[in-house]
Amino acid sequence: MTKTLFEKIWDSHVVLDEGNGRSLLYVDRHLVHEVTSPQAFDGLRIAKRKVRRTDLTFATMDHNVPTNNRSLPLVDQTSAMQIKTLERNCKDFGIELFDIDSPDQGIVHVIGPELGITLPGTTIVCGDSHTSTHGAFGALAFGIGTSDVEHVLATQCIWLEKPKTFEIRVEGKRKNPHAVTAKDIILSIIRKIGTAGGTGAAFEYRGEAISELSMEQRMTICNMSIEGGARAGLVAPDKKTFDYLRGRRYVPKNYDALVEYWQENLKTDSNVQFDKSFTLHADTIAPQVSWGTNPAMTVDVTGKVPFPEEYAQGSIEEEKAASKALQYMGLKPGTSITDIDLDRVFIGSCTNSRLEDLTEAARVVKGKKVSSKVRAMIVPGSQHVKRQAEELGLDRVFKDAGFEWRESGCSMCLGMNPDILSAGERCASTSNRNFEGRQGSGGRTHLVSPVMAAAAAIRGHFVDVRDLDLN
Amino acid sequence: MKGSVIKYERDNIDTDVILPGPYLKIHDYAELATHAMEGIDKDFHKKVKPGDFIVTGRNFGCGSSREHAPIALSYSGVKAVLAISFARIFYRNAVDGAFLLPIEIEENTYKDISEGDQLEIDTSKNEIRNITKSKTYNMRPFPELIGKIIAAGGLFNYKP
Repeated sequence: MTKTLFEKIWDSHVVLDEGNGRSLLYVDRHLVHEVTSPQAFDGLRIAKRKVRRTDLTFATMDHNVPTNNRSLPLVDQTSAMQIKTLERNCKDFGIELFDIDSPDQGIVHVIGPELGITLPGTTIVCGDSHTSTHGAFGALAFGIGTSDVEHVLATQCIWLEKPKTFEIRVEGKRKNPHAVTAKDIILSIIRKIGTAGGTGAAFEYRGEAISELSMEQRMTICNMSIEGGARAGLVAPDKKTFDYLRGRRYVPKNYDALVEYWQENLKTDSNVQFDKSFTLHADTIAPQVSWGTNPAMTVDVTGKVPFPEEYAQGSIEEEKAASKALQYMGLKPGTSITDIDLDRVFIGSCTNSRLEDLTEAARVVKGKKVSSKVRAMIVPGSQHVKRQAEELGLDRVFKDAGFEWRESGCSMCLGMNPDILSAGERCASTSNRNFEGRQGSGGRTHLVSPVMAAAAAIRGHFVDVRDLDLN
Repeated sequence: MKGSVIKYERDNIDTDVILPGPYLKIHDYAELATHAMEGIDKDFHKKVKPGDFIVTGRNFGCGSSREHAPIALSYSGVKAVLAISFARIFYRNAVDGAFLLPIEIEENTYKDISEGDQLEIDTSKNEIRNITKSKTYNMRPFPELIGKIIAAGGLFNYKP
C-alpha cells in the first residue's frame, strides 16, 4: 500500500491503535517554554509523577523575556515569576534548560533546529501552536495545550485522532526570489484556502518551488501551517535538510547511517492519493501584505484595501467580518497598499527571525536610513542568530540605519513582554498573526516578509520590493 | 445541561481575543476568568452567568495553543461553546481538562438560536432543545476520541 510521508511517520510512532485512527503516539522530542508549562508541572507534583524522558525534553524561555537590556532585573513581576518557575521546574524534574542568560537561548522553534534537537522522521510536540515549524525537516510536529504537555511529560506519549492528508503543491519558480519570499508563498496559500482550510489535516508542501527553498525558508512556510488551520505541515527531507543538521550539537553520533535511512524512508510514495490537494503556481505570486485581522485577509502589494462586499463574494458573514476588520485596522476600502503609512516595523518572531531573514532585510537597508516617522526594531530569533549576524556586521547595517538591535525572544509577536504596540499604532510585522490586539491592545498589524518590512521602514509606507535592486 | 445563550455573530474568534496574551502570565484560574473574551467583549465577565452557553460561527478558537482560553471561559461559568466549527487545538484543550463542551452545530441552527435563548443540551442523544423557541436541533456527534475523553471526565481519567 502506498503511503504519504505523514502516514509513514505516524505509523512508525503508534504505541497503541484503538481503531478508526485513534492512537497513542510516541513523542520523540518535547520542547517546553515558560508560558504553557507551569500548570503541567504542578499537575505532576500533585500526582507525584516524574518526567518520563528527561533526555528527550528541552526547555527555554522566550515568550516573556525582555529583549532590551538583559543585565537588569525584570520589571514585570509576573513575567519574572513565570521565568523563575520554569527554572525551578527544570531543576526539580531534571530537564535541560536554555535559560535567559544561556548562549543557546532563543525562540523555541528557532533553537530546536539550530541545536539539532529537531530531526527528520521524528514526532515533536510543544505547548505552542507554531511547533509546526519543525515540519520543515520532515518531522511530524504540532502544538499542544497544557494538559497534553503534562501528559507527555508523564508518559512521553499523546492520544490523537489521525489527521487527514493534505497536499499543497507549489509549482514552478518564483520570478524574483529576493523579493518574493517564503512568507509570500505561505500567505498566498492561506489567502486561498482560508484560515480553516486545513482543519483536521496535516499539510505536506511539495513541488519545485518548495524543493528550491532553503531550510530557513521552509521553516517560514511550515511555521504558518497552523494559520491555515492545520496543526502540522511537512516538507520531505532532502540533501539540504541533511547538510543543515550535520554536525549540530544534539544530532546523534550515527548521523550518516541515519541519513541513509531517512533518504530511503522519508518520502511520499509515488501515485499516492492525498485526502485533499491544492496547487499554486510560484510565478504568479507577488509580495503579500495583510490588510485585515486574520492571515487570510491578505492582498498583493500592488493591490488595494478591498471593499467588504468585493472581499466577501456573496457571503454575508465574510462581509461583516471584513467591515469589522477594516474598522479595527483604520483603513478605507480602495486605498492602495503602497499608500499605507507605518508607525512601527518589527522584524522577528518564530516565522522570520533567522539569519537568512536578517541577511535579506539587510540588502534593503544597507546605506539607508529608517524614515523619521517610523520606529523599527530587529529581534534575532536566538542568541546564535544574533552572534552570527554580528559576525557578518549586520547589526551595524541595521543600527546605522536607525533600527533597534535587540536580544532574542518572541518580542512583539504576541504582546506578552515589554515590546508592544500602543492603541492605534500601525506596524509592518514579519510575525504570523494579525489578530485584534495580538501585538498590543488596539495595535494594527500588517503581516509581511522581512524584505517588505525593511523597505517599509526606510520609506515609511509599503513599497513593492520587486522595484528595488536586491541583487 | 440547561443554560442561556450569549451569541457572537462572527467567524474566526481567535484565542488572542478569548484570552489576550498579557494575561497568559496569570496562574490563578478565577483571575483568568475576569479577562475572558476581553478582546472583543469587555463586558463579558459582567454578563456571563454560571451554566451559560456561547453560540458562534466558524473556526472558533483558532490561533494559539493556550489552554488558558478554554480555562478562562470555563471558570467564567461557560459550560459549552456551540459553533459551526472549531480550530483543532482549542477543541482538544476544551475537553482535556474537562473545561467545557465544544459542540459543533449546523449553520441553520447557529442562525436560529438568539441571544438569551434557553437551551437544554443532551449529548447522549446528540440533541439541543431550544426551550425559548420550542425547537429541537441535532448536534454533530463528537469524534470517537473526543467523546471518550469527555465521557471519562478528562484526559487523565481516560483509559483505552
